[in-house]
Amino acid sequence: MEALKDAFDFSDFSKSEQIGLIIFSLFLIAFPILGAGSFTKTVMIQFLLFSLFGMGWNTIGGYGGQVELGKAQYVGIGAYTVALMMVWWKIPFWVSMPIGVLIALGYSFIIGYPLFRLKGHYFAIATICTSLVLKDIFDNWDLVGAAKGIELPIHEHPDFLYMQFKSDTYYYYFIMVLFYIGLFYMNWFRKSKLGYQLRMIKDDEDAAESLGIDIRWCKIKAYSIASAFVAVGGGFMAVYNLYIDPASVMELSLSIKIALMAMLGGAASLWGPIIGAAFLVPLDRFLGSWLGGHKGLIGVDFMIYAALIMVVSAYQPRGIWGIIEQFRKRGA
Amino acid sequence: MLIIDALLQGILMGLLFALVALGLTIIFGVMDIVNFAHGEFLMLGMYTVYWTSLILNIDPLLALPASAVMGILLGLASYYWFIRYLLRGPAIAQLFGTFGLMLFLQYLAMFLFKTDYRMVEKGLLVGKSLSIGPFIFDWTKLAAGILSLISFIVVFYFIHRTRTGKALQATALNKEAASYMGIKTDRMNAIAWAIGGGTVGIAGGLLVNFYYAFPMVGILFVMVAFACVALGGFGSIKGVFFAGLLIGILEMVFPVFGQLMGSDFLGPHFKFTIVYLAYFIIVVVRPQGLFGWKH
Repeated sequence: MEALKDAFDFSDFSKSEQIGLIIFSLFLIAFPILGAGSFTKTVMIQFLLFSLFGMGWNTIGGYGGQVELGKAQYVGIGAYTVALMMVWWKIPFWVSMPIGVLIALGYSFIIGYPLFRLKGHYFAIATICTSLVLKDIFDNWDLVGAAKGIELPIHEHPDFLYMQFKSDTYYYYFIMVLFYIGLFYMNWFRKSKLGYQLRMIKDDEDAAESLGIDIRWCKIKAYSIASAFVAVGGGFMAVYNLYIDPASVMELSLSIKIALMAMLGGAASLWGPIIGAAFLVPLDRFLGSWLGGHKGLIGVDFMIYAALIMVVSAYQPRGIWGIIEQFRKRGA
Repeated sequence: MLIIDALLQGILMGLLFALVALGLTIIFGVMDIVNFAHGEFLMLGMYTVYWTSLILNIDPLLALPASAVMGILLGLASYYWFIRYLLRGPAIAQLFGTFGLMLFLQYLAMFLFKTDYRMVEKGLLVGKSLSIGPFIFDWTKLAAGILSLISFIVVFYFIHRTRTGKALQATALNKEAASYMGIKTDRMNAIAWAIGGGTVGIAGGLLVNFYYAFPMVGILFVMVAFACVALGGFGSIKGVFFAGLLIGILEMVFPVFGQLMGSDFLGPHFKFTIVYLAYFIIVVVRPQGLFGWKH
């Protein structure tokens, strides 16, 4: 009960942030009624999905301060579990998605145990390695469709059990609900014991250890929570796209995007991943569709994207939220 | 016989890997930064030789200095215009910063050269091979191995025998103490980036003789280079040489084992998987690497 109260309690934020959250929520709920085109709707779904990914990453990467660049493998585990169970045994989404999350959790404990012997650069590169190994295996494993990927069977009628709908609006509301569950969970998480322990570890590992915090175990727990978040998102990607392949759900660039959005928005803050996703997803999409049309301009969209990463990491490593807070402090 | 052949080919590849990883380990040793864009320096080195030899109509081997110069300039430019500003931030910003540089260079290459696969097609050595007994070597690979070895020795000599090299080593050991002795850290960092860029530029120039250049080629090699650097011990030059050889051999021999056993699992698709796994196991089991002194 106490935990639930904590999750819905935003009272330690400033007035302007609370009002911002309410306006933002009203906008999210009303969005499909505003009559936006299908492209905008896709962008919004992507935005919510990546916010969810980013919130998950924020547990280990933001609060825990570990540079984690291998989240795509858990997106892949979530997506493949849902897709394969549906293709092989016709198991509904509502059963296969939790199983996917459980598999991701189990796998993250197995990987996390050796992984968190490492620190800093070693850790960052090792997370990339584990993710790429899994991608290579799926790329060559004929049983799961290898590099061709798998297509989910399309049902003739909308089917709630298998999460198949004609209209994107249903998917939109579904991912929105997931988004809010994630948001409330993170609101609880940042005030939980583990949340405080992680921030302590980020600030000073030796001091944390001397206070009796089991550093490695804390990191593993946070890593598993992050993995569960992205596995849920992965399951959603499978039913939403109706087609998955290793290149779309396990690529290194996906891991990077997840971490990047949280970092760009502002790691270790509740709003950070949301702001980051709200900024990068539309930028990515609109730049892509705007510049992609011009034949001579292949790659320019990503160059702008990359230049942005470079500028932010050089001038304000605390991200957009860091910039906002800086201004507020100056104003106060 | 197949194994011995793979072993020899692996040694040639390994010498090249060592040269690729050399710059990475020097930069890491001197300033504790992991340069994700290292593979893209390699990629641009490949393109430099490709275009120089094509446009000036000279042998690709003669175009090697161009790729070395390009690498040095690129290293200096990245350091002075970008990396210097990253140093003020936390480690996470440095990682993302060099990652941003990597993406930027990748897509710059895609914008400039499109996604076509390009390889040097004519040249003194291209397409010729040398047979010694039952073994057949491509001249291009042989030249790549030998020239990599020479470049490596030159850099090794520079680091260990010259005053500047010793200053570099001092900075790597203890930045503050070195600066009290009058060594300018900023200049040492720049030299590390110049050497890093130059060596990997040469490696790219050698590689393009027998491997396709395309905008995304860097990521494959940067992961191999990371594995070499980790195996050799971050910052160790001697270590990276032997690690390069070992990884080159692993990468060539494993598929042959698979072939002999008739199993698909060790097939050529997985040759980079072996490298990733090797990295993971090395850093977990022995974080200081073979000859590491820094951690």
